[in-house]
Amino acid sequence: MATTDLLATRARRAYELGRLRQALRLAPAALLAAGLALACGRPAGLCCALGAALLLAVVGLSFRGQGAGRGVVPGLLAGAIPLALPLATRTLGFACFGHSCAALCLPACVAGGVAAGALVAWFAARERAGEAPFIAAAVTVAALAGCLGCTLAGLAGVLGLLAGTVLGGAPVLLAAHARR
Amino acid sequence: MERLADGDRSAFEPVYAALWPQLRAFAAQVLGPHDGDDAAQAALLKLFARASEFDPSRDALAWALGIAAFECRTFLKKRARRREDPAAEDAAAIADRWGGSPEAALIDRELCAAAGEVLGLLRPIDRETILSLENGQRAVAGATFRKRLERALSRFRAVWRTRHGDD
Repeated sequence: MATTDLLATRARRAYELGRLRQALRLAPAALLAAGLALACGRPAGLCCALGAALLLAVVGLSFRGQGAGRGVVPGLLAGAIPLALPLATRTLGFACFGHSCAALCLPACVAGGVAAGALVAWFAARERAGEAPFIAAAVTVAALAGCLGCTLAGLAGVLGLLAGTVLGGAPVLLAAHARR
Repeated sequence: MERLADGDRSAFEPVYAALWPQLRAFAAQVLGPHDGDDAAQAALLKLFARASEFDPSRDALAWALGIAAFECRTFLKKRARRREDPAAEDAAAIADRWGGSPEAALIDRELCAAAGEVLGLLRPIDRETILSLENGQRAVAGATFRKRLERALSRFRAVWRTRHGDD
């Protein structure tokens, strides 16, 4: 029989491996987001870099657990909106150049950011404890997923996404805090 | 257990300290001290590997004993398979250890595993009352204990009937 210390070490290793296995279950979602952006014609290098960052964030935060871990799935759900909106506008035939970009792609990024921020805040308002790490993790994941679509409108698109997230999330969160 | 499932590493030590003696005692009761220790270790490692999947709405001890009962049953099946191979284990040794035929010993141990599984489905107070018959650590004494034991045993029989069909 193993000594108690050795058994405790093995149990801890089993626990950490179990957590890693659990965290890796979310990896296909990150790969799917990067694959979707790639399929919609985004540059391969950018998709790989953002996809890798998203994968690391999703698996790492989920592995860490607690508030940060709970924020991963809401972050992925929220990030799907700013990811899908600009890609949909492009898929529907809009070219993101000059004025046409400012007319549709950029607003799509801002609108996606607003929706993502509101969704993250709505989930965060239901958190009993660890609200700050939850929001930080969810916003990080949502922003990385959203960037896969919003880089279509360049840096302005990314900034629009971030501004939209803050604009959409802050009122929902403040309202939730006021109700408590 | 709920904190550990959520990723709170500081909950590891208390959960380990609380569950290891319980699993060890349970497995020893079903399989005997030697195989019991091996089964308890396997159950403990499996339990921690699956800790992230723990559903907080369930009773942690019942969940842990369920895993231990499954592990004990696996050990019993392995033993039975070994016994089919005459070179693997001496049947007479088993008969001596259990004071009867190897078949009777196997049935006895399978019954123990099934009982452990049913025990894991009971409410904590009923489980503790029944287990206190074995370990002697009684929270109450006298008539209160007898009444509590009677209630626990009737619930045990009801769950047993639901799962196995007869007394």
